[in-house]
Amino acid sequence: MSDLSTDACGATRDPVIDVHGLVKTFGHVHALDGLELSVSPGEVHGFLGPNGAGKSTTLRVLLGLMRSDAGSVRLFGSDPWREAPTLHRRLAYVPGDVSLWPNLSGGETVDLLLRMRGIEPAGSRKAELVERFKLDLTTKARAYSRGNRQKVALVAALSSDTDLLVLDEPTSGLDPLMEQVFRECIAEHRARGATALLSSHILSEVERLADRVTIIRDGRTVETGSVASLRLTQHATADTSLEELFLEAYR
Amino acid sequence: MMSLTGTALLLRQDLRRDRIIVPAWLAVLVLMTYASASATGTLFRSVQERETIAASLNEQPGLLALYGPILNPHSAGELAMSKLTVLYALLSAILYVVLVRRHTRVEEETGRAELAAGTVIARDAPMAAVAVEACAVAAALGLLVCLANIAGGLPVAGSVWFGVSWAGTGLVATGVAAVACQVSASARTCGSIAAALLAGAFAVRAVGDAIDGLGWLSWLSPLGWNTQLRAWSDPRWWVVGLYVALAAGLLALAQMMRSRRDIGAGLISARPGPTAGRISSPEGLTFRLHRTSLALWTAGVALTGLLFGAMAPGFDGLLSGAGGRELVDRLGGTFIAALLPVAAIVTTCFPIAVISSAHQDEVAGRTGFALSTTTSRGRWFAATAALAWGGAAWLLLVTGIALWAGYASAGGVDAKAVVPAALGWVPAVWLVGGLALVGFGLRIGAVGWVFLVLFLATTLVGELLELPTWMVNLSPYSAVPAYPASAWTWTPDLVLTALALSIAGGAWWLFGRRDIS
Repeated sequence: MSDLSTDACGATRDPVIDVHGLVKTFGHVHALDGLELSVSPGEVHGFLGPNGAGKSTTLRVLLGLMRSDAGSVRLFGSDPWREAPTLHRRLAYVPGDVSLWPNLSGGETVDLLLRMRGIEPAGSRKAELVERFKLDLTTKARAYSRGNRQKVALVAALSSDTDLLVLDEPTSGLDPLMEQVFRECIAEHRARGATALLSSHILSEVERLADRVTIIRDGRTVETGSVASLRLTQHATADTSLEELFLEAYR
Repeated sequence: MMSLTGTALLLRQDLRRDRIIVPAWLAVLVLMTYASASATGTLFRSVQERETIAASLNEQPGLLALYGPILNPHSAGELAMSKLTVLYALLSAILYVVLVRRHTRVEEETGRAELAAGTVIARDAPMAAVAVEACAVAAALGLLVCLANIAGGLPVAGSVWFGVSWAGTGLVATGVAAVACQVSASARTCGSIAAALLAGAFAVRAVGDAIDGLGWLSWLSPLGWNTQLRAWSDPRWWVVGLYVALAAGLLALAQMMRSRRDIGAGLISARPGPTAGRISSPEGLTFRLHRTSLALWTAGVALTGLLFGAMAPGFDGLLSGAGGRELVDRLGGTFIAALLPVAAIVTTCFPIAVISSAHQDEVAGRTGFALSTTTSRGRWFAATAALAWGGAAWLLLVTGIALWAGYASAGGVDAKAVVPAALGWVPAVWLVGGLALVGFGLRIGAVGWVFLVLFLATTLVGELLELPTWMVNLSPYSAVPAYPASAWTWTPDLVLTALALSIAGGAWWLFGRRDIS
C-alpha cells in the first residue's frame, strides 16, 4: 500500500472518515481484512474495487448497520456502531440496490426519508431536484424502474445540504443525461465544502469527480491517493486513465 | 394456444422450493385427522350418546355455522369429522393459496419471472407447473387423510369419500388462488383477495347451514359441498364433478386473464399517488403499510363476530318456559367460549404478518436504508412491535364487542362478559407475536408461523390424543381459561403477559446487537 500523506487536500484537518485495520468476517469468509480508509473534509473520495471486494460492507460498517470484528472505525470522530442515529444527522446515504416500499408513491417516499433525517420537505430543495432529475413523484414505488428508484434515493439525499454523502454505486441505473445531472450535483456539493464517499464502477465518472481514490481488493486497501499520485507510484505516464491504473493495480 | 415448454423444469424447481412447507402442512393436517378419528371411540362411548350429541349439534345454529350439519346422526365417521369436514378443510385451502401465490405472482413481483421468461420457458409454464403441483398435493392430501381415518378406526368407504372431499377442496382452492393472483400487481393484495374469496365461501355456507329456508346457499359454496357430498352415508358421487368443473373453470379463467395481461401487471392499474406525503416516523410508516390490511381485518372480525354472536342464542326458539332461559344462556355462553380460541388463533395471523413484513423489509434492504437516517434501531423495532401487539389487542376487542352486539341484538342476556373474555386472549396472542419478534430479532423468517402451527397442533391434537397436560399446556392457547364457560382467573393472563413482555424485550435486545443486512 502506498502512503500519500503529502496530499494537499485537507491533510491538516481531522478526517471525516477514519478507518484502520478494519476486519469483518461472515462465518469463515473474511469480507474485510485490515481495510484502511481515510476521507478528509471537503473532498470527494472515490472508493473502488471489483464486485465482492468489500465496498458495500465497508459502507454498512461506516453507517453503523454492521459491527466491525477488529480495527477502528471513526465517523466524524465518533464510533458509528454506538452513535449511529446522532451521526446520521450529518449524512445522507444512497444504497447500491435501492429498494422502496412498494405501496408508497415517490413523493411520499422522498418526504418520509427527509423527515426521518429531521428535514422538513417544504423547506428543502426537493422541488428543484425533482425537476433536475425529471422524477415523476406520483408513481408508486412498485412501478419504478431501477434507475427511477435510484433517482428517488438521490433526490432525498441531495435535497438538503448535508456534511457527508455516502453513495454506493449511485449512477449504475441512470441514463447519461441523469449521470450528467448527478455530476453537477456532486460538484455543487463539493463547492459548498462538503464531503462525499463515492463507491463506483464507472471509473471515468470517479476520475472526473474524485479528489482522491482508494482501491481495495479482497477486503484490503491496495492503493490510495489522488489519481496523479497513483500515476507516480505506478510509474505511469501523465495521460494514463484511472481505468488503466485500476486494471494495473489488479495485475 | 398454450405453450408449455419448461413446465417440467419449473415443476421440479417448485417441488424443491416447497420441500419443507408442503410435507409440514400435510403432516399437521393428517395428524389432526388421525387424532379426531381415533378419539371418537373414547369420547362417545355408546351409540345413543353419539346420536344425542349429533342431534344437539344440529340444533345449535352457531355450531352449524361453524362446522356444518351432521346429516346422518347414526354415523360415527360424520360426527368424528364434524370439525374437519368444513372448518379444517378451510385450513387446508390456505396451503394452495400460499403455493400458487409464491410460484406465480410473487415471482412476477420480484422480477424472477421475467428472468425465467427470457429463457426458453414458455409464458404459460409457471402457472401450469404450480397447477400440476397443487393438484398433486390435493390428491396426496386426500389419500393421506383417507388413510388416517381408516387407521383411526372409521369405515373405509366413508374415509375414501372424505378424502375425495378434501382433494376437491384443494382443486377449487387452487383455482381460486390462480384467479386471485391475476387481479393485482401486488402479491399481498392477491393473497388478500384469495383469502377473502375463501372466507366468503365459508360465510355463504355458514348462513345456508345455520338458517332454515336458506339451505340452498350451502350449495353455492364449494365448502358446503364437503357436507353435501354425504361422505359417510349414501354419497352423492356427482358432487365430485362440481369440484372438478369449478376448478377447471377457474383455472381456465385465470389462464385467460393471464394471457391478456403483461408480465408483472395486474387487472387493476396502479393509481397515481401523492407528490408529497405526511408520513414522518417509523410508526407512521408501519401503520401506513398495514392500514388497508388492518381495516379489512377489522371489518372481517366485526362481521364474523356479529354473525356468530347473533347465532349463539338461536337455541332460544326451541325452548320455552322459565327454565329454558338459563339453559339458553349457558349454551350460548359456552358456544362463545368455544369460539374465542378460534378467533384468537385466527387473529394471531395479523401480528405475525406485520412482523414478517418487517423481516421482508430487511431482506429487501429497506431496513438498512431507513436506519441510515436518524431513526434508531430501538424505535424501528418498537414501531413494528407496537403495531403487531396493538393490532392484535384491537382486533380481539372488536371481536368481543361484535359478539356482544350480535348476541344482545338476538336477545341474549348477560353478554357483557364476552368483551373481557375476548380480551383475556390478548396475552396468548402477544406471546406468539413475541416469539415472531424473536425471529425478527435473529433475522430468521417464518418463526412466528412455525410457532403458530405448533401451538395450534398442540392445542387441537393434544386434547384429542390425551397427551400429558404439561405438554398441552406448552401452548399458550391452552393456558387461557374458557371464560365465560368456566370461572375467570387472573393468573394465566398475568403469567402470559409477563412472558410475552420478556420475550419481546429479548427480541429487542437481539435486534439492537446484530448486523443489519
